[in-house]
Amino acid sequence: MKKVLSLVLMLAMLLGMSTVFATEGPINIGCLQDISGPTSSLGNMVYGGVKWAVDEINAAGGVNGRMINVILYDTKGDVTEAINAYTRAVTSDGVSAIVGPPVANIGLAVAPESENNDVPILGFAIDKNCQLKPDGTPYKNMFAFQPAAHQQSAIMGEFAIKNGFTKFGVVYNEGNAYSVSLQAPFIETVTAGGAEVAQVVTYTKNDKDFRTLLQPILNADVEAVFIPNYTQELILIAQQIRSMGFEGALICGLDACPPFNTLFGEPADGIYFINNIDGTEPAIIDMVNNVKTATGIDATNKFFLGYDVANILKGIFEEVGTNPADVRDAVEKVTDYKGLTGNITIDPATHMPKGLEMVMFKYEGSTPIMLERYAAD
Amino acid sequence: MQILQYLINGIALGSVYALIATGFSLIFNVLKFSNFSHGALMTLSAFSGYFIAAGNGWGLVPTILVSVLTGAAVSLFGEFVAFRRILTHNTSPVYFFVSSITLGTLYEGIVVLKVGANFYNYPRFFGKPYRIAGLFVARSDIIIFCISAAALLLLAYMIRKTKTGRALRSVSFDRDTASLMGINVTRTIQFAFIVSGALAGLAGVFLGINYTLYPTMGSIVVKGFIASVIGGLGSLPGAIIGAMLLGILETTLISIIGSGYAPVFTFVIMLVFLLVRPRGIAGSNIQEKA
Amino acid sequence: MSLYSHILTQILITVVSVSGVFVLTGMTGMFSLGQAAFMAIGAYTSGILVTKLAMPIIVAWPAAVLLAVLVGLIVGLPTVRLRRDYISLVTLGFGEAITALLNRATTITGGASGLTGIPKRTTLLIAFVSAAAVVTLISFFKSSKYGRQCIAVRSDELAAKSMGINVPRVKMIAFLISVAVTAYGGCLYAFYTAYVDPTLFGWQRSAEWIIMVFFGGVNSLTGSILSTFVLSGLPEVLRFLQSYRAIIYAVLVLLVINFRPSGMLGEWELTPKHIKRLFKRPKGARAQEVD
Repeated sequence: MKKVLSLVLMLAMLLGMSTVFATEGPINIGCLQDISGPTSSLGNMVYGGVKWAVDEINAAGGVNGRMINVILYDTKGDVTEAINAYTRAVTSDGVSAIVGPPVANIGLAVAPESENNDVPILGFAIDKNCQLKPDGTPYKNMFAFQPAAHQQSAIMGEFAIKNGFTKFGVVYNEGNAYSVSLQAPFIETVTAGGAEVAQVVTYTKNDKDFRTLLQPILNADVEAVFIPNYTQELILIAQQIRSMGFEGALICGLDACPPFNTLFGEPADGIYFINNIDGTEPAIIDMVNNVKTATGIDATNKFFLGYDVANILKGIFEEVGTNPADVRDAVEKVTDYKGLTGNITIDPATHMPKGLEMVMFKYEGSTPIMLERYAAD
Repeated sequence: MQILQYLINGIALGSVYALIATGFSLIFNVLKFSNFSHGALMTLSAFSGYFIAAGNGWGLVPTILVSVLTGAAVSLFGEFVAFRRILTHNTSPVYFFVSSITLGTLYEGIVVLKVGANFYNYPRFFGKPYRIAGLFVARSDIIIFCISAAALLLLAYMIRKTKTGRALRSVSFDRDTASLMGINVTRTIQFAFIVSGALAGLAGVFLGINYTLYPTMGSIVVKGFIASVIGGLGSLPGAIIGAMLLGILETTLISIIGSGYAPVFTFVIMLVFLLVRPRGIAGSNIQEKA
Repeated sequence: MSLYSHILTQILITVVSVSGVFVLTGMTGMFSLGQAAFMAIGAYTSGILVTKLAMPIIVAWPAAVLLAVLVGLIVGLPTVRLRRDYISLVTLGFGEAITALLNRATTITGGASGLTGIPKRTTLLIAFVSAAAVVTLISFFKSSKYGRQCIAVRSDELAAKSMGINVPRVKMIAFLISVAVTAYGGCLYAFYTAYVDPTLFGWQRSAEWIIMVFFGGVNSLTGSILSTFVLSGLPEVLRFLQSYRAIIYAVLVLLVINFRPSGMLGEWELTPKHIKRLFKRPKGARAQEVD
């Protein structure tokens, strides 16, 4: 019984300590990311970008002399953990703003909870329901800083039509909110463009052998297959569909961005993908090289999303101070911020970016080739 | 033709399931419990194969060897930390279950510590698939099928013909009597764990080749569990038959109703199966011993 | 809501579900790896009834529990007669099937994006009262005739049978009670987080509950509750250890199983008698002195 009692006491003490530390001093930013769960490759990148930006800011003297302190919260890709971490951030750690995850389910879970507070969450969930209530008005604290699913899919669809594809197959994971949110707008766009979607195939997280599932798509003799899935599944599907003799185009979302080409293990010809950044721009190449030499990390698009948002926050702190409610109001008014991921303007009616550009690429061998810029609308 | 292709896919899937199911069954056979750490053990050995061998540019054979050895060694370690005391103190067998799940968490935690949640891809060991009369047969599938078959035949020989195999069978039948007959029960159980771990290592490499490496890949052990129930819990030939049936059944179900409802149908089929033939295809009726 | 009351509410909701698992696993010795799926049925049914059909909670929650029990009956009927391993397998398959259905029925459940817009009604008080009520009811059940039969079945099924205990019937009762309690936990959960998605209810969650029961003491409801507090609180305390958390957790549980296999509290139960004695201690102490 003594052991148990001392355990309980320890628990109480440790919890208490965390509140004591949250006093004046540096400006706290929460970074609510999946660090050890299934989407941790994304979360770690966002955190890396935020950290990189904050280190730059602090090295240059901080915000009006105050340093920025990034507090990392691991959601483990689990919504319960995420809500716990969120509550900890706003109630006991006193953060001025939170950089949210690029994961829809977490955004959806935190959104209703966030209504009770004033801390803005600057996230990257592309499902518009993370930002908008069922009645179409935005959650006051939820913001997205990359184009929404319907915008990205519209770009990919337009691109596909423009390149003369007329018959499509679609493969998506029905157990993954991200995958689900991308497929419907794509099908809408290409059908509106006069093309035919001959075969739609769904799978679940338990599927690893896709050959049987993919057979109908091959039988339908399609010209291109749309595959909006997380990188790992994407690699399996792409490998298996190629091994079955499919020679046509594979149109993929952000998941086919590098390092996909190195993980894929074979030439990636005929794979098209969308990206937030143009990796051939000098500014981006410079930063990728700097990050690589300093930390050994290969910065990908999510890194730059995190980097931009941290810098946006810095500007806001300088302008309106660190009171979360003021920061929130300022985030809503972000206009034409020139970041590495494009010119960011937040639409106050949707809390999502307006007219943000994205770039279509294709692989030749393992080298990504920039094809065309599109503005999301 | 189409049906033939599905059949090939099913057998390819089934041969990996068979490795999992046998490793799983072996432990069930001896200790009468479902070893849920088996999946995480596959993950751990497959990853060590990646980091020690394949990642350094070594070929398929060294990768398999490293994984099999790791599997065997870790399995032996697992027997010592998680199951030995339960066994010697004769505590209720239900503890095996909890112990094995926790052991699985431990293995997975170690993998996560090293790789995070990232996934890895073995280098391509095999070239383009064969195309025979309009059918696609992946080279990896053929080789995996052959190696699995060889490993399982070897196991069968060991269990049926060797002295250790006989000891294993007698321990699985009745531990106490076997001990009275002068069989070293602890050694025999250790042996079972080593073999089961080696099979886990082999299965892990094959899973990695076919489906990439990731920390939660062990959850596929559930398929081995289902296969060994279909075949009859604890029966090794049953486990192999069950695994093949499950592989073919799954591909057939997917081709007919798609992937979404497949788990629902698998569940219903399993339920019906348990109602009609609860002891499985080959199993004898194992009763809870008093 | 402050962080403490937030975490406390969550732990209390887990206490409800773990109490259900206690009846099944601790008392009767059956393992359900699909227990979380019954939580899903509770959470989704109550959530859907309230959000889509605008039913009042007072109707929706009992309806959700009832549905779960009905489904439990269907799953349980063929399995209670079989060896215990099969129950874990069947419930595991059942869990997968439920997840698949939740993902498929997008129009009703929201599919992979989850069910949103559930009103937040579960407060700390409601969670506390629920947990207290469930725990009290189960402790009554444990000391009832059926409860003692459950324990007999767990200890020795053959002997229980020969004593004239209707084993399948006892197993079924335990299974249905645990299903009802867990489903109720699901209702509490859905109306607390205001959001549920299918990934929340995998077999790992069920396994976690089983571990909690064993950690606390197989035959001790008090132990199960205590270990729920310790094991759910532990990851929060160990937050600074980040990725080592899972490993420490596993090592801890292995240590308990190896060196104290009856769990933290073994068979010990906190009864009203103990509490009474606690308050009367001065008197008792004096009495000892006199002796």
